[in-house]
Amino acid sequence: MTAAPAPEVFAALADPTRWRVLTLLAERGDGTATTLAGELPVSRPAVIKHLAVLDRAGLVEARRRGREVRYTVRPERLDAAARDLADLAAAWEARLAAIKRMAEEG
Amino acid sequence: MTPDRIERETLIAAPVERVWELVTAPEHVGTWFGDAGAEIDLRPGGAMALRWEEHGTVRARVERVEAPRVFAYRWASRMEAEPEEGASTLVEFFLEPDARGTLLRVVESGFAALDVPADEQERKAKGNGDGWDHELRDLAEYARSEVAARP
Repeated sequence: MTAAPAPEVFAALADPTRWRVLTLLAERGDGTATTLAGELPVSRPAVIKHLAVLDRAGLVEARRRGREVRYTVRPERLDAAARDLADLAAAWEARLAAIKRMAEEG
Repeated sequence: MTPDRIERETLIAAPVERVWELVTAPEHVGTWFGDAGAEIDLRPGGAMALRWEEHGTVRARVERVEAPRVFAYRWASRMEAEPEEGASTLVEFFLEPDARGTLLRVVESGFAALDVPADEQERKAKGNGDGWDHELRDLAEYARSEVAARP
């Protein structure tokens, strides 16, 4: 009943650069810190930090291939976050419905 | 783009003063929100407690009281915890008088600002899912008992 659906996911998504990183990975299928830095106005070390946040939130998966680490999007966590929000919204709808009923009956 | 807020509204065929009372008076809030009562010190900075028989108490802090148009509070994301920054979300009620009654809009926001230790994330996400499910069931039960209690 407390109001916190997957907070780490929303915190990770709240940053515009991270959102861009995630979008690029989704569009390209996968990417490395180097390829991403080539398409974004931020440095490779900065991209690595953003990828670490996305990784901790479970939004991307890292796979080592030889010397490079390739990242792909994990849609399950996004789906779960969307479901959490839908659950919260449904709870508010039910509460508003209860208030409406009480107001109109009372 | 940030999925950081929920917004819902409903049109109520009742005067704004009546809706304000239902949204802010503890004896009403304690039924449509919790199931074991509520305490509300209705002034900015005032303490709130929302109680559930099974789950315990959620603490909140009143942010805005502009009768009968705006009521806002910040409620703790953890049971029995204080509604601090990083551990609470903001709930805002907006009441708009309308020719047909009152338009009641609720906005909950601030999920991205929640700061949860990594080891708690999994357990918490699961726990919340259960909680909201219970909440809906509780509300459905309340709705049925209200109907049954009518003369």
